Amino acid sequence: MMWIIWILSWLLILTGCVFIVAGGIGLVRMPDLYTRLHAASVTDTGGAIFVMLGLFLQALFVYGSWFIAAKVMIVLFFTLITSPTASHALAKTALLSGFVPTDANGKPILDSPETAQRLARSRPEAS
Amino acid sequence: METLTIMVLLAFLVVIAVGIIVLRDLLAGVVLLGLYSLVAAGAFVVMDAVDVAFTEAAVGAGISTILFLGALSFTKHEQKPRGHDSVTALFFVAVTGALLIYGTLDMPHYGSDLSPAQTHPELTQHFLHKSDSEIGIPNVVTSVLASYRGYDTLGETVVVFTAGVAVLSLLGLRRRRPEEEAPEDAPGDLPTVPDDEAEHK
Amino acid sequence: MFVAATLALLVTMILTLFRALVGPTIFDRLLAVNSFGTKTVLLIAVYGFLTKRPEFLDIALVYALINYIGTIAVLKFFEYDDLGSGAYQEDDF
Repeated sequence: MMWIIWILSWLLILTGCVFIVAGGIGLVRMPDLYTRLHAASVTDTGGAIFVMLGLFLQALFVYGSWFIAAKVMIVLFFTLITSPTASHALAKTALLSGFVPTDANGKPILDSPETAQRLARSRPEAS
Repeated sequence: METLTIMVLLAFLVVIAVGIIVLRDLLAGVVLLGLYSLVAAGAFVVMDAVDVAFTEAAVGAGISTILFLGALSFTKHEQKPRGHDSVTALFFVAVTGALLIYGTLDMPHYGSDLSPAQTHPELTQHFLHKSDSEIGIPNVVTSVLASYRGYDTLGETVVVFTAGVAVLSLLGLRRRRPEEEAPEDAPGDLPTVPDDEAEHK
Repeated sequence: MFVAATLALLVTMILTLFRALVGPTIFDRLLAVNSFGTKTVLLIAVYGFLTKRPEFLDIALVYALINYIGTIAVLKFFEYDDLGSGAYQEDDF
């Protein structure tokens, strides 16, 4: 039975590694802030989920410890809460200070920084 | 693998430190300082100094980042270009650094079993075997820090506390008036005036 | 397996560090630092299993929280240019 656990955790951790390295490459190669944010979020959630699940299997079956497995799950839980929140806050603050997202050709998709600020404050139309 | 991890983490520290020195943007410097503490704490974990890593993460990455941000809100975000030459400063820094490195040559190697702490005839054994019955704390590091050398720790705490009180009394605990003293050139400023006018009409 | 994961994390940390140093904006640095923090959390967790002593996961937990607090503090500072005087509250909400 143990070999199933080993193969499963291998697969999970290697998938996580693929996500992590892909996110890292994206963080370097993406053209502007918002696309980089997208790449980094892939690492922070996808990579963390797979790696931590693999570690969870290891802790539970190889080490046979509920305590360590629970710790792994708590770390994963807090990572899953905090890093999307941080990404969201980052994007919101970037919009608030007038960073306009661009499309594939580098053309701004909003007409002005003020529109970006209004969007970030959930006021799509000027009242 | 352990050696490789430690080497890479220490190389990160050097790169980040150079980055902090080179960058003119003070806010970026603060952000990178937080990163520096995080990497340093990671290196401590890899070197098995878990309690030091806890302290470094909480103090270095947590509190001092926030302290630096508080200090930055009193000043500008950009470092002033320096006019004077810094050759003398470089000389003194180099000499001090060389002296410090020379001083570390007397220290036992990392993880050495010949260090005084390991070779002392009874002290280590005493701490390891008796601390549970004498102090009653399962973690030996904690019982040494907080009890066997408790006066030393108390002294350290008094020094840090005095420094904190002195800084607070120098800065003053006056709250800034938001409307009068808000800096005009802050990059995150909101265009509050048009919205206010719209609401008042 | 853990060696592979550690290597992947270290390589990604190098890439992230590049972004943190190059910038160009403060948000890019902050994003890279936050991402680097998450990678440190994962590295400590994986490293514990690599050295067969997974008891040190508490530190990974502390890191996850401190990293979050640091990022939010910098963002709050950037948005309000202050850390809690409440200068913008009345017209912002």
